[in-house]
Amino acid sequence: MLLDYDRLGWLRAALAGFTALVAAFLLLPVIFIVLLSFGSSRWLAFPPPGWTLKWYQELLADPAWIDAALTSARIAAMVAILAVVIGLLASFSLVRGEFRGRQLLRGLLLTPMVLPVVVFAIAIYAFFLRIGLAGTTTGFVIAHTILALPFAIIPIATALEGFDKSIEDAAIVCGASPLQARLRITLPSIRIGIFSAAIFSFLASWDEVVVAIFMASPTLQTLPVKIWGSLRADLSPVVAAASSLLVGLTLALMVVTALLRRRLSR
Amino acid sequence: MQGNSLRRRSIAGLPAGSGGALPALTLVGLFFIVPVVALLLRSVTDPEPGLQNYAALFGSGTYVRVFLNTFLVAAVVTVVTIIVAFPVAWMLAIMPPALGSIVFGIIILSMWTNLLTRTYAWMVLLQRTGVINRALMGLGIIHEPLPLINNLTGVTIGMVYIMLPFMILPLVGTLRAIDAMTLRAAALCGASPLQAFRRILLPLSLPGIAAGGLMVFVMSLGYFVTPALLGGTSNMMLAEMIAQTVQSLLNWGLGSAAAFVLLVVTMALYAIQLRMVGARRLGGGL
Amino acid sequence: MTRPFLSIRAVRKAFGAFVAVHDVTIDVPKGEFLTFLGPSGSGKSTTLYAIAGFQDPTSGDVLLEDKSLLAVPSHRRNIGMVFQRYTLFPHLSVAENVAFPLRVRGRPDSEVRRKVADMLALVRLESFAGRYPGALSGGQQQRVALARALAYDPPILLMDEPLSALDKKLRQEIQAEIRRIHRETGVTILYVTHDQEEALHLSDRIALFKEGRIEQIGTGEDLYLRPASEFVAGFIGNSNFLTAEHLETENGTAVVRLADGSIIKGVKATHALGHGQKARLMVRPEAFRLMPAPGNASLAVEIVDTAFFGDRRRVVARTGSGEEIDVRPTSDTAEPGDADSASGQQIFFDPAAAFLFPA
Repeated sequence: MLLDYDRLGWLRAALAGFTALVAAFLLLPVIFIVLLSFGSSRWLAFPPPGWTLKWYQELLADPAWIDAALTSARIAAMVAILAVVIGLLASFSLVRGEFRGRQLLRGLLLTPMVLPVVVFAIAIYAFFLRIGLAGTTTGFVIAHTILALPFAIIPIATALEGFDKSIEDAAIVCGASPLQARLRITLPSIRIGIFSAAIFSFLASWDEVVVAIFMASPTLQTLPVKIWGSLRADLSPVVAAASSLLVGLTLALMVVTALLRRRLSR
Repeated sequence: MQGNSLRRRSIAGLPAGSGGALPALTLVGLFFIVPVVALLLRSVTDPEPGLQNYAALFGSGTYVRVFLNTFLVAAVVTVVTIIVAFPVAWMLAIMPPALGSIVFGIIILSMWTNLLTRTYAWMVLLQRTGVINRALMGLGIIHEPLPLINNLTGVTIGMVYIMLPFMILPLVGTLRAIDAMTLRAAALCGASPLQAFRRILLPLSLPGIAAGGLMVFVMSLGYFVTPALLGGTSNMMLAEMIAQTVQSLLNWGLGSAAAFVLLVVTMALYAIQLRMVGARRLGGGL
Repeated sequence: MTRPFLSIRAVRKAFGAFVAVHDVTIDVPKGEFLTFLGPSGSGKSTTLYAIAGFQDPTSGDVLLEDKSLLAVPSHRRNIGMVFQRYTLFPHLSVAENVAFPLRVRGRPDSEVRRKVADMLALVRLESFAGRYPGALSGGQQQRVALARALAYDPPILLMDEPLSALDKKLRQEIQAEIRRIHRETGVTILYVTHDQEEALHLSDRIALFKEGRIEQIGTGEDLYLRPASEFVAGFIGNSNFLTAEHLETENGTAVVRLADGSIIKGVKATHALGHGQKARLMVRPEAFRLMPAPGNASLAVEIVDTAFFGDRRRVVARTGSGEEIDVRPTSDTAEPGDADSASGQQIFFDPAAAFLFPA
């Protein structure tokens, strides 16, 4: 009866209590940061002696923060587009292809997800130093696309595996050319996977710290690099304000995702 | 059916070959394989050909301590994560979906929140004058602030926080795949709840625990950000040491050698994991 | 002889050493409902796929009104098809699904709208036009698939086990729909199934496949009443096979001895058999009559089991030599008391309704 919710008895109360504790553990730091960002104490005293918006004003008045955020957004958007397009093409081969070494190829394309980022970071940094891409937007986009690719391929390939190829065949018998069938039938049918791929690869770039720390130059730094620098210097409440905005962005993305999924999966 | 498998091969003047993977393969080959191989070559050529970097790495007590500490932290984080994750996954697997979706929402929110933000929160919470120490002193439980940061405690708390979703989500899948009827049968056979847990539920969920645990262990081994911010100088981990060796000391040879060691260990464990769960199911926890 | 509408000429399909279809030749007149019947792996679907263009035959040809289809890619063959699995486009509404083939053909909006309305009326799903496939039952999905396949007035409609995913009651309902639609549209239908009842119910003609060859082609009556081989007799309808020994054939009727020693005269002789040759005598269950006293072509049996099915009964009898026979007395011959005495029963059958095949 251990897997019957209604028959667990006292164990259910214990498990539910523990789950609530862990949920609180996961949620509290996030809430805490948001609260602190409105607190008036420079030394992040809690509970705050008073409430204020000055950390947000300070954040938004600093062109370095704004620049970093815009740089991050620009790079992440390019990464998302590239990773989805390249990942889509690769997924068709990985799912539908029948050629030798398909499993090997799959493993290879997913490896950047498993290899410790720090190894890739110093490798690509050394490589870019040599070919002159270090500290450039192009360099950032290439490096982040490599890291984002597995996060694009996995949802698209999963969606494609769940899509019955007979449906594409039916479109062809109906008179659609093979290309038309893919564009008008297959792609719309796996759009949830494509959409997830876009979100995941955007986040993979937007949140990436390690490669960014190595690649950043005085003129080109992403938001995580800016936060990293501030954290190493001191625990300024301005970082709390920036962090709260990031939490807000995460929440917005979650809501958009949930809404779109509901609309798309009729 | 036979007909379908036959058809799959030949329908389609549609190219279902390897061509589509070409852009991905080019990108990964040129900007992943080449740089990583070049880095590894550097470990035996910089500053001069030979194995002196590896000799320095394994000959120095400092570096060996970093290796040991890395494994220690990864092991502690993995064990704590499993112990915390299992009851939560258990509850989530059987809970009414309406209630469960709230917990899932919290897990996803924490997972999607910027890594630095989460780590920053723990830096603030755990510091000497932070909320946790103040609360404990206010309650009269302690009189001196506890050292919660820049040591193993801080790293463990911060890492478990980050790893929990990666353990809970796959485990929920494993537990949901277990037929509740099996445990009803165990109860009818006379097994007490404890016996049913030990002899039925735990063994049946062991593959999920092992796979998730291995994934957490592998991720922890190479983790950089959280240990660097929450750990202390006396218990540095491998990833931070690699970054420092290259960035501050500009010792590329030694850094590359350490990177190679990390790569070999990670890939070996990854291979074991692949054998355990199969390549197909590996991204299932996303 | 009139020119055939669709002509399948010596189509052969080999996968390496395995030959899935052996030189199948069929002529199909316009408007016919032809079913490919056979066990799985008998080559019926492979033949259908050659017509659809999913597979190129190794040799042979498929002609539609004397023009070869083989060089035409699937999407230009203008053939309608309903698949075994549900293949509605999940992101399009019912109406948009039906409109899809017309849209890819670039038909004007007004025509598309009119045609979609006609087709949904044909399959009686007018009120479902705005729904999405996920909100339809399996039966409704297959009816929409039928509407979609007919929307562009294809000369031929291929149906690949379209009802196999549905439960029995729904299957019968949609069979009736398909018959009606065939009658109303006059479209030529090639239908694949492994269900002989479905084939008998629907088809003008049935081609029975076995191991890549057509074992027999003809109307349902042909196959049921005049099976060309033991395989056909066994596949279509229910049959009893009794071990027999051929004694002699004269004037087209044969005399055989059954295993229990009884001599049966007047059996139709469709195969040339020698004296003493081992044979199998096939009798349909409904051809038997139970009776209390021995007569011509009768066997002494013991009743093993009886079951009641409302409109009929089923009796299992055992002959003196231990062979079990399935007997389905029709209601007018089934006296309630018939089977009460467990032994000493006689069963009788008309030898002219029995078939003799070489063993």
